[in-house]
Amino acid sequence: MIQVDHLVRSYGKFKAVNDVSFGVGKGQIVGLLGPNGAGKTTLLKMLTGYHFPQSGDIRIGGIDIVQQPQKAQALIGYLPENSPVYPELTVGEYLEFVAGVRGIDKALQAEAIDKALTQTDALAFRNKVASHLSKGQRQRVGLAQAILHNPEILILDEPTSGLDPHQILEFRQLILKIGQEKTVILSTHIMQEVEALCERVLIMNQGKIVAEGRAEEIARSLQGGNRYEVRFSGAKVEAVAPLLEKVAGLSVPPALAGETFLCTFPLDIAGGEALFDFAVAQKLKLISLVPCTISLEDLFVQLTKEETHAVPAEPLA
Amino acid sequence: MQSLLSLWHKELRSATGSPVAVGAILFFLLLTGIWFLWISQFLVQNTASLRGYFATFPVAFTILIPALTMRTWAEERKLGSHEILLTLPVKTGYLVAGKFLGAWTIVLAMLVLTLPMTILVSGLGNFETGEILGEYVGIVFLSAAATALGVFLSGLTTNSISAFLLAVAGLLLFAVGGSLAAIVGLPASVVDAVRFFSLDSRYATFQRGILDSRDALYFVWFTGLFLYLNTKILILRKWK
Repeated sequence: MIQVDHLVRSYGKFKAVNDVSFGVGKGQIVGLLGPNGAGKTTLLKMLTGYHFPQSGDIRIGGIDIVQQPQKAQALIGYLPENSPVYPELTVGEYLEFVAGVRGIDKALQAEAIDKALTQTDALAFRNKVASHLSKGQRQRVGLAQAILHNPEILILDEPTSGLDPHQILEFRQLILKIGQEKTVILSTHIMQEVEALCERVLIMNQGKIVAEGRAEEIARSLQGGNRYEVRFSGAKVEAVAPLLEKVAGLSVPPALAGETFLCTFPLDIAGGEALFDFAVAQKLKLISLVPCTISLEDLFVQLTKEETHAVPAEPLA
Repeated sequence: MQSLLSLWHKELRSATGSPVAVGAILFFLLLTGIWFLWISQFLVQNTASLRGYFATFPVAFTILIPALTMRTWAEERKLGSHEILLTLPVKTGYLVAGKFLGAWTIVLAMLVLTLPMTILVSGLGNFETGEILGEYVGIVFLSAAATALGVFLSGLTTNSISAFLLAVAGLLLFAVGGSLAAIVGLPASVVDAVRFFSLDSRYATFQRGILDSRDALYFVWFTGLFLYLNTKILILRKWK
């Protein structure tokens, strides 16, 4: 649905987006994660045709957005950061304006507006002047604006920024509901957002995509395999250690933290089973066996630390 | 076409929803009326000419058109709403045309509201209809040119006040540029060239009741030029 190849965009000497390539399939919800200034907004602005790339290609539904911007833009609904509205217009007037410019037939406009406002739970403030809307309400109106023409693609730039925790949860539910039938790209610097919403994540840092795939996959590849914390009851730690080293498939010698061993297996080996079998064979009592996954926070920090920006982008999906 | 109408309609809604437009119209009617009747003492002059009345229009426009056009693009950029506007599937030229038509409609409304005064005063004596008609045609052309310039300049900044000042300066330059060049002592050829581009000298022809197609074409060219430049800048900004 969205295909991006070798995208470059600079502001003066600063390369905001530097050779970015990725594809998003139909119906996917993809999170664009990165610290502030990573190039997320610039990338989204190019996807919507607000900016054109200095080099590289963007195809929206197979249409080159630079060659045929209007045709490509007709497929997209866009919610910019901070969801700007015209303060002097009512919500209804604003949506009528957008519907009109989008070329929605006059007879169908009222229905489209009703539907968009219903889907975003914003029907109640249809007649409210936009300057009187709360931040959360404004965000809903922005989303209604974006889905007014029932687009195949939704592009949301930091959709939950500035909302209170309650509103964030509500808004995420809304995105999940609406995103069921659409291809969605949303940018965020909040890790939980990606975990809550996205099937796939693109992590951006310093204008580049430093990792992409499912969050767990990225995490596992980053920690070098499947990792388990294992603890045995009663057994002397010194006695167990040499035995443990002989467990088949263990890729790194087990490290000891207190009485807990840290065992790392290659990605394709289910180490949990091997450890359980080991405990049975050695007649040890297993009191805990915990698969460790690197948290998305740690992942994010590791990938976006300046000194580690050279982590290769490995398409894992 | 529907897109253009929606853009125009929205501009009008925005303009009439803000106190600027209403204030500008009131200010225009009061200023031109008071100047004509009171300060230039039309009623005691015993001349059957409205030239003094129409002469105040370009002066008032120098302030009022910038006031009406200053928000057109600057405010969009300040609010961030231009991000939505510029990603709607519509030609950039339509966006510019919508902005222009919205602001110009308010100016035309101002001119329509001067009709009662014109009709009232022209009933007092034997006025030349051709001259009055020429004045109106000329002022319509002049207002279009000034509005196009104002909207264009609003697109160069994110600050409405800067847009206002830029437009006032721009209009002044096009109004008195010729005389200014002469005063500064520039060569006659330069003065002539500046005069050629001067809006005021073109308007003066209409004031004499002469409908010169060259002057009309000049205004159309001037309006078109700034609408075109405005469009070009918006497109260029996508790349820069």
